[in-house]
Amino acid sequence: MTALDPALLSRVLARALRRGGDFADVFFENRLTQAFKLQDGLIRDASSTVIRGAGVRVVVGQRAGFAYSDDLDEAALLRAAEAASLIARDGRAHDAAVDLAPVRAPALYREHAGEPADSARYVELLGRADVAARAFDPRVVAVNAFVTDELQDVQIASSDGRVVTDRRPLVLLGVQVVARDGAQRENGYIGDGGRTNIAVFDTVTPESLGREAARIATVKLGAREAPAGEMPVVIGPGGGGVLLHEAVGHGLEADFNRKGTSLYAGRVGERVASDLVTVVDDGDLPGERGTIAVDDEGTPGAHKVLVENGILRGYMQDRLNARLMGVASTGSGRRESYRALPQPRMCNTFMPAGDSSPDEIVGSIERGLFATSFSGGQVEISKGDFVFMIAEGYLIEGGKITAPVRGATLIGNGPDAMTKVVMVGHDARLSHRSYTCGKGGQRVPVGVGIPTVKLSSCTVGGTGRG
Amino acid sequence: MADARDEALALAETAIALLRDAGASDADATVTIADKFACEARDDEITKLERSRGRTLYVRAFRGKRRATLSTTDLSREGVAALARRAVAAAEYVGEDPHAGLPEPVESDGVCDHDLFTVAPDVAERADEAKLEEALAMERAVRAADERIVNSDGARVRDSVVSWALANTRGFRGVTQGSQVSRAAAPVVRDGDDKRIGHYGTAARGWATAESAQAVALHAVHRALAQIGARKPATMRVPVIFERDVAASVLGDLFSALSAANVALGNSWLADRVGARIGNERVTLVDDGRLRGGLGSSPFDGEGSPTRETVAVEGGVLRTFLSDVYWGRRLGIDSTGNAGHGTVEETNFYLVPGTGTLDDLVASTERGILVLDTIGFATEYASGTYSRGARGIYIEDGAPRYAVDEFTIASSFGAMLEGIDGIAGDLRFDGTVVSPSFRVAEMTVSGS
Repeated sequence: MTALDPALLSRVLARALRRGGDFADVFFENRLTQAFKLQDGLIRDASSTVIRGAGVRVVVGQRAGFAYSDDLDEAALLRAAEAASLIARDGRAHDAAVDLAPVRAPALYREHAGEPADSARYVELLGRADVAARAFDPRVVAVNAFVTDELQDVQIASSDGRVVTDRRPLVLLGVQVVARDGAQRENGYIGDGGRTNIAVFDTVTPESLGREAARIATVKLGAREAPAGEMPVVIGPGGGGVLLHEAVGHGLEADFNRKGTSLYAGRVGERVASDLVTVVDDGDLPGERGTIAVDDEGTPGAHKVLVENGILRGYMQDRLNARLMGVASTGSGRRESYRALPQPRMCNTFMPAGDSSPDEIVGSIERGLFATSFSGGQVEISKGDFVFMIAEGYLIEGGKITAPVRGATLIGNGPDAMTKVVMVGHDARLSHRSYTCGKGGQRVPVGVGIPTVKLSSCTVGGTGRG
Repeated sequence: MADARDEALALAETAIALLRDAGASDADATVTIADKFACEARDDEITKLERSRGRTLYVRAFRGKRRATLSTTDLSREGVAALARRAVAAAEYVGEDPHAGLPEPVESDGVCDHDLFTVAPDVAERADEAKLEEALAMERAVRAADERIVNSDGARVRDSVVSWALANTRGFRGVTQGSQVSRAAAPVVRDGDDKRIGHYGTAARGWATAESAQAVALHAVHRALAQIGARKPATMRVPVIFERDVAASVLGDLFSALSAANVALGNSWLADRVGARIGNERVTLVDDGRLRGGLGSSPFDGEGSPTRETVAVEGGVLRTFLSDVYWGRRLGIDSTGNAGHGTVEETNFYLVPGTGTLDDLVASTERGILVLDTIGFATEYASGTYSRGARGIYIEDGAPRYAVDEFTIASSFGAMLEGIDGIAGDLRFDGTVVSPSFRVAEMTVSGS
């Protein structure tokens, strides 16, 4: 089953609004994921997952009533609608009928697949990644690899009269390597894929991913303890985009701004970053991991300029927050599954290219840190303090990249860091497609990207002295 | 709620029959039925209201020594049958794993959820109206507590009753139930041009044993106010005190390192260390699946092994890893009753408390940092490196001096366990991984 009957959806919406409400919607999904996992050179597990069900929501001002059901018969869906309607019990009842006109999402994904590929292909990909990682260096002691292939059919029916369908593929091949030298163990991870099918691994080969994970792990074996304290920091192109995601992106999600809990609340039109900083969130880049042809409320994904030459231009909106703030949704309403309410979320967040060459940027620093990639990050939304764990980083000494460091984190404050962007490289690119963002307990796939960027100063947390 | 338990067991039995039909030689099936309620109050009105029943099936299927898993929220007979065929077909591509397979049948020790007080009767008895009123009261209490509180991210009240059943093709049948309630508040304080949010939440099996709504509201307010005027500390090496919630997050990382799965995969700094000293004599870490009323208590684990109390680290010496049957076979140890669904999971994992209070730890610290919150998470289980962003209070001469933020604390887990020189007695079982507050004698604080 890839969709519910529109006549049934219409009756469910009518029931949802029977106590009143500004609007109601039903989110139906049927998602099949096939995954294989390799450990110690052996395929250890195959997993098949179905997430199927429907969530019913009623919105009244800032209030949302919600219920979901995995049982899709009419009685169960009407029960969910009834439970969601309770939020509006003081409201004025609506006229019942909701006519639904079908809308198909624009095609933005590469090579739609209807069914997962032949299992032998996944197994072959994992074996190739494993062999390449082990061949890279004798100090590689463990290789864990996985591949997931997902196809999510969604159908969103709204009381404004639209029923939107979208079919979203998503693949990911991840390789984790542990390298060991004496008592020291280090790991390296890389993943790639996107909103496409597994043919993408003909181009992004499993060998290249295996070698890259092994390279990261073995580089860290020879690494020094990271220095501690404030110093100039260079963010590497691609994966360094996590910086934008955490330092700026979350603070520009509409819910935090509508409620006034974000430090960016009420500051549209103001300067929030150095004039070298432009930040864009884009839902419609073909094939990227954060791409969505329509969001989980049925609104097309858009190219959103969040910050332009340092000036705050707008927030990422879902329907509920957009209504309350008197603007249009930007197609940023996303949910982890039918079991969760939508939230304003990022899609693919990046900074376009600037004018400097990467060499010129590194060459401008006497002593500092080069952060090639991050293994994760987090932000505190009210003041904007962020932290990143550096997956791969190097010292900069005398204008040159020198020794690798390990165990480093970056800590800073979002708005403060954005005023310290003093050079932006001409080498903008998107990261490999493996990031997942968590917010309020909901995880969604996202993309990030950035050119080489210099922060004049940032705090590096390490254990080394100086 | 007896009906949900019966329904779960019947669905689990149907699932293993369908797996056999599809060609599985062995299988076990877990069905979870969760009845959940959640509400949020903000600005004098109820802003979120959710009530749902969610059902999930998780199955491990074997073709000899080849394993496949499936999970689905589509519990229709046709849906399960189709997925069963897919999973069994996929198992053909899995390598033969000598350690794969169901646990050997063990005699039940007769302990049931009733003996473990996993269901608090007051959860089913409490009317929704009372919970909505409580959320509104918490939101009011937060806003009235201090004039510097200018906003709130909402007060939340939730409860759930989860029934789950396990059936396998070797004859195991088990069904159990647990209730849970939680309360949380998030006041926003204005601090000059800055805003700061204080988060605090608590959880328990039932309303009567949970921290009161008033206490939760005031604790959250205290956390917001404690951040006012925060500045960046100097880079230094000093004692660091972990307040109990932050201490619990450190324990979560330690659990990962003790997990037999991570150890077997070479992804733990504790690999090869059984029998060795990994911390000082104050450090005793326990996983207790039989703790009365514990949020992680259950008579049996995710694959039917009886749960138990396991001392993983005793007086600083690593005694055993924590394991399910599969990873235990790979390491040559018995299951400790820590099977989740496809993972090794804690039951109730804690650091054995000492005596005294958090204030006592502060008072006996000449110069150091009290950490009230960390941001960032662990990825470096293999190397055992610890590094987090933090905020808290700067301590001098045994007294709190001023709030600090925008710094990191860093060390290695090994050095931290060796350096724990004070453990308070403030342990509270409000999660499945919990800790009393403790102090580490020296860590690197990176600030300005």
